[in-house]
Amino acid sequence: MTDLLLLVGCGSAAGALGALLGLGGGILIVPLLTLGFDLPFREAVGVSLVCVIATSSASASVYLRRGIANLRLGMTLELFTAAAALVGGLIAFALPERVLAILFAGLLAYVAIVMARGREPEAGIDLAGAAEAVDPATGTSQSSFVDRLAGEGYRVRNLGWGVAGSMVAGLLSALLGIGGGVVKVPLMNQVMRVPLRVATATSNLMIGVTASSAGLIYLLRGGIDPYVAAPTALGVFAGAGVASRLAHRVDLGLLRTAFVVILAFTAIQMLARGVS
Amino acid sequence: MNMHSLDRRVGLTLAVAAAGSMCLLAAGVATMVAGAVQPLTDPAPKLDPGRLGSDVAALRAEGWLWLGLIAVILTPAVRVAASLVSFAAARDWRQTAIAFAVLAVVALSVVVGYGG
Repeated sequence: MTDLLLLVGCGSAAGALGALLGLGGGILIVPLLTLGFDLPFREAVGVSLVCVIATSSASASVYLRRGIANLRLGMTLELFTAAAALVGGLIAFALPERVLAILFAGLLAYVAIVMARGREPEAGIDLAGAAEAVDPATGTSQSSFVDRLAGEGYRVRNLGWGVAGSMVAGLLSALLGIGGGVVKVPLMNQVMRVPLRVATATSNLMIGVTASSAGLIYLLRGGIDPYVAAPTALGVFAGAGVASRLAHRVDLGLLRTAFVVILAFTAIQMLARGVS
Repeated sequence: MNMHSLDRRVGLTLAVAAAGSMCLLAAGVATMVAGAVQPLTDPAPKLDPGRLGSDVAALRAEGWLWLGLIAVILTPAVRVAASLVSFAAARDWRQTAIAFAVLAVVALSVVVGYGG
């Protein structure tokens, strides 16, 4: 019972922190399970994928109903994230766990540096030509495929780069148990010129199918321990839900600083685990 | 059907599927508590699709946990299936084909997963 409560509690904390800081739970769950509970890295990734799917499904449903996520763009890109995640799932079972741990340490260090610099991607709203390109009511008046991916007030640019970046995100998701938003959101916002709010919501939508594609491989190859995955996923789901309602009351600046320190420390620990 | 109502319909389907799968997962955790399972020390059960029905009927923890986990993992596919139907109803054949291809990738993951 103590173990179960610990998993639910740690899952809740990871879900809450992830929601407050705009990160997926994966970047927190994997180190928590490997360094905190001594779970094998691959099993931690499997559990993390389940958590990522649960939170993504819940938030994506809200983004869709509010009309924030771009369903057409998301589905076009998720075809490539899911295919790459399938390949990544196979690679994950072929690579030694220490290599995965070192890769994860690199990811943690990257996120810590980005957060420390306080760099926020800028919303790239491109209004030029949008009005004649798309009729948001019907979505039927566009001439080309790319035009049909446009949303209200913006057009999608550089779809080829978006596809390539989505494949990288899918691969990372399957190898490291993350949602891949750390790649997709800046990519959609800065390269494809999709507004930040839409990019975040659309990335969230895509995370589900991407992690699902990899998660099925983990599930069927014995990479998911149901005794650990279920309580952790419930905790993450509950924590993220509560935190999203409390976000406006929390001093995010202080939290962000503390989190950078935690991420840097965790990166060193993970690197040590990979090297040792 | 316009784009916004299509999004809302797909979003609602996803919300129902997500809530349902989390309920199944919560039922699995409840059966863990009832069965005094120690998650970090008890050996993890193997997934055996042939036993899933009988384990669920017998209220065994592993049955409900696997059912919940499978439901969670397949929830995004339900959203894609709902999108496929909606795009087909709107006669948007290109998006319908994309949705079909996404579902095919998910199905391929099952085949590849079993293949290991």
